[in-house]
Amino acid sequence: MTGELRIDHLSKVYQSDKGPLASHNVFDDVTFGVKAGEFVSVIGPSGCGKSTLLNIIAGLDRASQGAVFIDERAVSGPGMDRSMVFQEFALFPWLNVRDNIIFGLKSLGLSAAERGARAAKYIKLVGLDRFSDYYPNRLSGGMRQRVGIARALAVEPAVLLMDEPFGSLDALTRRSMQAALSDIYLRTRKTVLFITHDIDEAIYLSDRVLLLSGEPSRLSLELRIDLPRPRDHRSGAFQGHVETLQQAIIQSRSASSINTEANL
Amino acid sequence: MTNITTNSARPVLAPASAAGRGFINFVRSFVAASAPIMVILIGWELLAHFGDMPASLFPPLEAIFRALMRMVADGNLLADVSGTFRRLFESVFIGAAAGTIFGTMMGYFRWCERAFIVPMNFLLAIPGTALFPLSMIWFGLTEMAIVSILIYEVALTVTVTTWTGVKTIDVALIRAAHIFGADGFSIVWRVLIPGALPSIITGYRIAFSRAWRILIVAEMLVSVTSGLGYRLYYAREFFQYDLVYAGLFIVGLSGLLIERVIIRPLELITVNRWGTVRELK
Repeated sequence: MTGELRIDHLSKVYQSDKGPLASHNVFDDVTFGVKAGEFVSVIGPSGCGKSTLLNIIAGLDRASQGAVFIDERAVSGPGMDRSMVFQEFALFPWLNVRDNIIFGLKSLGLSAAERGARAAKYIKLVGLDRFSDYYPNRLSGGMRQRVGIARALAVEPAVLLMDEPFGSLDALTRRSMQAALSDIYLRTRKTVLFITHDIDEAIYLSDRVLLLSGEPSRLSLELRIDLPRPRDHRSGAFQGHVETLQQAIIQSRSASSINTEANL
Repeated sequence: MTNITTNSARPVLAPASAAGRGFINFVRSFVAASAPIMVILIGWELLAHFGDMPASLFPPLEAIFRALMRMVADGNLLADVSGTFRRLFESVFIGAAAGTIFGTMMGYFRWCERAFIVPMNFLLAIPGTALFPLSMIWFGLTEMAIVSILIYEVALTVTVTTWTGVKTIDVALIRAAHIFGADGFSIVWRVLIPGALPSIITGYRIAFSRAWRILIVAEMLVSVTSGLGYRLYYAREFFQYDLVYAGLFIVGLSGLLIERVIIRPLELITVNRWGTVRELK
């Protein structure tokens, strides 16, 4: 399991009951790849379909056209070769930290002892050793998402999918979680596909940033970030990337607004 | 944990005095709780002796107590309490199991919900007690006439709460369950039931108290040979008014017992993990 992800001419149309005119084309002909061990972010304005894209890759949603391949095997539903970190954490409130992580391990055919050891390893990785017995409602938002990350990593997937994982955290926690994730990534070198609408976050974490925009959305920019980790938000090179992405977003916006005007 | 640290920080003599304070507190709260009851009992006794009321309507406490002792002596009390409790537990157990399964199905399968939502609402509009004539036609004056109504009422109550509980589980949890390898029946077992547990347990609590109310009435309507409701009715038939009061006392005491021994602990189960139930102290 090397962990290479390939998205091949993927389109998503939401069919409406009210006929073809009311149906909504979310994104169209999206093609890209994520190499094994690469960290790729997809950014875009809300409503651009980036979460839908991730759900299709996860197997929770179906594409209208195109296919998703993990190590050249086509994806046809949820599978243990992919796992996901959710924006709203989605921890099971009736399970403590350890059992939340073990939940995903149960379908891997490990013995109880192996499951316990695996859970302990990843709880340590995210720095929650002292909180194994805590229930989620007693943890802060940042700690909950650490559990979410540990749960996703513990199944040792080929590809880790992250759907705006820090979107519901406050700004300070968000910064420290980005640093923690960067550190975890350096230690595990997982293939990561990361969804966010935060430019700064995308540049801080990723090897490559893809911009999804327009109506219907298409990939409108690919930006390679070759800065050494851990990265410094204030460095000139970092700010240069921020500038590039901001320009691209402004351009894509004005392009789509011209489109809308032309349609009127 | 905080208790341990504060205790160990205290001088050696402290635990004894703490225990002493605990005892004083206990006495104080006991007096506070029992004082109103004492006032009522004394008032009752004064009314019974000097109030110029007919003794049959206001039997003095010692008469009620003697009736109670009579019930104990001839074995009726044991038979009544055990008969009533047996009916209650049998029907709550069967009804709750059926309601949990059916409610989960209604919450999970769209077709199931669509098929049963109208009949369910119709049945909910009929009080369980209104079905007694029917159950008596079907089963005669038997145990089954009572238990069938109770099972029906409990199952209906638990179905509704379970269904709502399953419906209101955060969609994100179900998606997470799919991602982490749960599907089909294991979704039900590992996510839907535990996710809906606070609602399910609320359903059990409501069902218990409804069943208790209906049961006492049912035992009056359907003359079985033992049961607290039956005893109350029988006592009135034979003009044993002191026995009516003794019976009521036992009914109240039993209800309180169920509340304390079964319903409270059920509630407490969910507090720790879900943090949803408040106002327990």
